[in-house]
Amino acid sequence: MFFIYLAILAVVLALTVWVLFDTKKLSLQVTAAMVIVPLLLRLLMIK
Amino acid sequence: MQKHTITAIICLAGALVASAIAGASFLSMRTPDIIVRGPGVTEVKMLSDWFPGIKGTAGDTEVYVMKGADDGESMLVLGGTHPNEPSGHLSAILLIENAIPKTGTLYVIPRANNSGFTVNDPQEGSPQSYTIQTPSGPRWFRYGSRATNPIDQWPDPNVYIHASSGQTLSGSETRNLNRGYPGRPDGTLTEKVCYGIVQLIKQQNVTITVDLHEASPEYPVINAIVAHPKAMQLASDTVLGLEMQDIKISLEPSPVNLRGLSHRELGDFTDTLPLLMETANASQGRLRGRTDAALVLTGKDKWYVRAAKLGRLYVPYDEKGHPIEERVGRHVTAIGEILNSWNLENPDKPIEIENLPGYEDLQTKGVGAYLLPIPAK
Repeated sequence: MFFIYLAILAVVLALTVWVLFDTKKLSLQVTAAMVIVPLLLRLLMIK
Repeated sequence: MQKHTITAIICLAGALVASAIAGASFLSMRTPDIIVRGPGVTEVKMLSDWFPGIKGTAGDTEVYVMKGADDGESMLVLGGTHPNEPSGHLSAILLIENAIPKTGTLYVIPRANNSGFTVNDPQEGSPQSYTIQTPSGPRWFRYGSRATNPIDQWPDPNVYIHASSGQTLSGSETRNLNRGYPGRPDGTLTEKVCYGIVQLIKQQNVTITVDLHEASPEYPVINAIVAHPKAMQLASDTVLGLEMQDIKISLEPSPVNLRGLSHRELGDFTDTLPLLMETANASQGRLRGRTDAALVLTGKDKWYVRAAKLGRLYVPYDEKGHPIEERVGRHVTAIGEILNSWNLENPDKPIEIENLPGYEDLQTKGVGAYLLPIPAK
């Protein structure tokens, strides 16, 4: 179960980074950047 | 390069910098506070010595063994079951650094939920540590989470089902050490730690187990001893002894239908006499204002003073707060009274422990006066 959740997390993180580079709206880019922080910290098993 | 690609790179760089700063702060929580071996400590073991299933995990934790000159009965003190309840952790440390058993054995686990000391509860604004001044300089202590670090046990289920009873609780309670007893050798990390503590109690034939806690001032079970039915005589004698010292404390029976708690399951599943004690901690309460190390140490909070005037609390609360000296003093003095009560009823098999800090001394000299200097490396 742990690794399944980690895989889901990795996919969501990748999609968020993709949105960050795909969108032309600055507000959406800033939002994506904020979302990346907790996703990355959990993927690295820091928080 | 297109404009939105440049802004994306800037945003990503910002996210990485924020992650690095936050990550460094979170990782610093994994450095434990220092506990000095006092004159009564004869051995420091690990909980995995009793249950190898947690060896090498974040749940494995130090067990300070303090043997008296003569064999006798034994007592286990659990501090840090909930790492956001600092008086339990500090009281255990005071025992380790001061107590000298004369007869019998004292086992102290200062970080019962070791993993919980490596993280704060989200959205609580809790401090990561607090500092106490001692004659040899400041010493800092960790303030952690009520529950096991989600990094060590993740994901939570939607509903936590207590294994031996089938009781259902909120999913996050699956990481609450005091909902996991008697534990399972093949369960979650939290259940394995519970199982390890039960194995220690069984293998060492521990006579009395005391689990040290704190409670929010608006919580009914506060400044109290909670006792399993078979420990009720011992607890009631202890309450009388504390009342003689003008320390007001209530006695609560362990609820039969509230499962997974130390005062219920350790009594049902082992031969030990389990007791749980609570003091008043504003820093974990729902009505508190600013949450910082000062609140942890002083308990001074104007919102709790107001709540007391509105009759919403279960402890008296004024501008003096409930300082750590009072809360640690209550725990340590109660442990002394538990021993006195046991020895009065069982003079043929006493547990005698000397050099326990007194309640009045703690109020006047402070907790720091009883903390040892950290040895030079």
